Amino acid sequence: MTPRSRSMFWRIFRQLLRASRGRLIVALIALSSGAAISSALLNINLDAEQKLTHEFRTLGANVVVAPPSSGSDAALADAAIMDHIVEPPAPQIIAAAPYLYVAANSGAQPVILAGTWFDQVAKMNSWWKVDGAWITSREDRLHCLVGQAAARQFGLAPGSQIDLRAGERSVSLTVSGIITSGGAEDSQIVTSLDIAQNLAGLPDRVSLVQLSVSGTPAEIETFTSHLATALPGLEVRPVRQLAAAEGSILARINGLILWTIMLILVLTTLGVLASMAALAMERSRDVGLMKALGGSVERIMHLFLAEAAALGVVGGTIGFAIGIVLARWIGGRVFGVAISPRWPVFPATIALAVGVALTGALPLRLLGRVRPAEILRGE
Amino acid sequence: MAPLVQVEDLEKRFDAVRALGHVSFEVESGEWIAIMGPSGSGKTTLINILGGLEHPTSGRVVVDGMEIGQLGERELTRYRSDKIGFVFQQFHLVPYLTALENVMLAQYFHSITDEKEAAEALRRVGLGDRQEHLPKQLSGGEQQRVAIARALINHPKLILADEPTGNLDEENEATILHLLRDLHSAGHTILVVTHSQAIGNLADRRIELEHGRLARISVPVRSGAGST
Repeated sequence: MTPRSRSMFWRIFRQLLRASRGRLIVALIALSSGAAISSALLNINLDAEQKLTHEFRTLGANVVVAPPSSGSDAALADAAIMDHIVEPPAPQIIAAAPYLYVAANSGAQPVILAGTWFDQVAKMNSWWKVDGAWITSREDRLHCLVGQAAARQFGLAPGSQIDLRAGERSVSLTVSGIITSGGAEDSQIVTSLDIAQNLAGLPDRVSLVQLSVSGTPAEIETFTSHLATALPGLEVRPVRQLAAAEGSILARINGLILWTIMLILVLTTLGVLASMAALAMERSRDVGLMKALGGSVERIMHLFLAEAAALGVVGGTIGFAIGIVLARWIGGRVFGVAISPRWPVFPATIALAVGVALTGALPLRLLGRVRPAEILRGE
Repeated sequence: MAPLVQVEDLEKRFDAVRALGHVSFEVESGEWIAIMGPSGSGKTTLINILGGLEHPTSGRVVVDGMEIGQLGERELTRYRSDKIGFVFQQFHLVPYLTALENVMLAQYFHSITDEKEAAEALRRVGLGDRQEHLPKQLSGGEQQRVAIARALINHPKLILADEPTGNLDEENEATILHLLRDLHSAGHTILVVTHSQAIGNLADRRIELEHGRLARISVPVRSGAGST
């Protein structure tokens, strides 16, 4: 096309847009709406993995480090392994809590005592319900937390005293809070690691270490392998059920979002198709005339396809902008944190909107089959 | 020199209906031909075939050396833009383009646009001051003059006009006839479908159709010649 022909092309193009603005605005609204929801969902999809893996990390440990035969009482690790785990600090470790389990008695009744680092347990199990006060200091030697089943068994409440004995050693602690975890901790007494080690006479020993590690299942596997290499003689294993469940949830959310986007794009295409069908009816006489004047189908269709593509670009841009707002709002409602815009979503939204607009412009493309003699006769 | 238009034993059928049959005639370059006949006699079908808008069912139609029946869709499109200038009874201007742009549209489909030439074409038909008007802002006569400017802009070999004054009042009819006369004087070959005896009398020859058949070819009385 020569520059002068190009100039005429854009001249006709502008007049075409102006003449059909009513129908084109309807198509643009459909396109922008579809692009907005698609863009918001794409943004959420890209952010969901990070947001959800972060959320999952409040649901307890997903990696456990323990001696090979941790089922036996004798299998204990040196507490120094904590130095290997937390130094140098690995950014993906959300929390790391050593545990020493001790079989103790309160009066004549046996009870399991779990010695740990309270600050780390709090980070790892933020969903635990505590009646009373949480213990914030790792070094606290005066207080303990009591599982709700154990509290019922021993008749304990926040502020109560409990005497614990293991062999010849004993300790007296004040109950700071009653915990409800829904797990084994409900029937245990949780103390600081020091107290458990002193009571058991096992200084510098731990039964296991629980870790909360952020990342996708694959990233966690990689982290686990590296840690296993750094801790020879110990088993480092992901909590597989949790990892698999997380992976499955992520995959399902991913699939759900992608299918929803596809469905929205189909509905958007139908909306655009309806507007374009009406437009095609209005333009059939003009196309017949253009063909009678010697206009080739290609030249006429270039006009209509350029119009559809322009509609897609404008609709995609508007949709992307609305999609950012929508994603922030949905992110705030669902994850409690606004979802930040992902710029690769912009070209993807434009491409989707242009694709939808060109598909929706099918009735205009069919105008290429118009027979000018019939149209000019008014048939 | 070979005639500009040669029609030999032309037949056109629409399914079972025969619109034209056994039509033969020739048109020399520079002639003004009036195609006349009652409604349904096949005048518009004949014009459409000559203009490359319809394919003949049988027979030969040759315009400027090109046999219409042998042309494919792309070649017919090229043929229309290169050789034919159409003027329709309903004017058929693109409603959202200005008078100037309607003329330039024919240039655009033909080759390259030349705004000055298009403006000059409008001035020649007396619409120099109406270039930026949309069709709805023009009278019927003015719209038809835009259509004539558009038909002439690519210097076609053949101007085909289908009832060009059919929708006009007497004053505008006179203006259009004046324009056609000027075109004829300038050497253009014109085929006009008309019911008007006045236009028929202005033509060099009249081709009369009846029931899709050629009834007679005559020279109007003003020329002093009889029927053939």
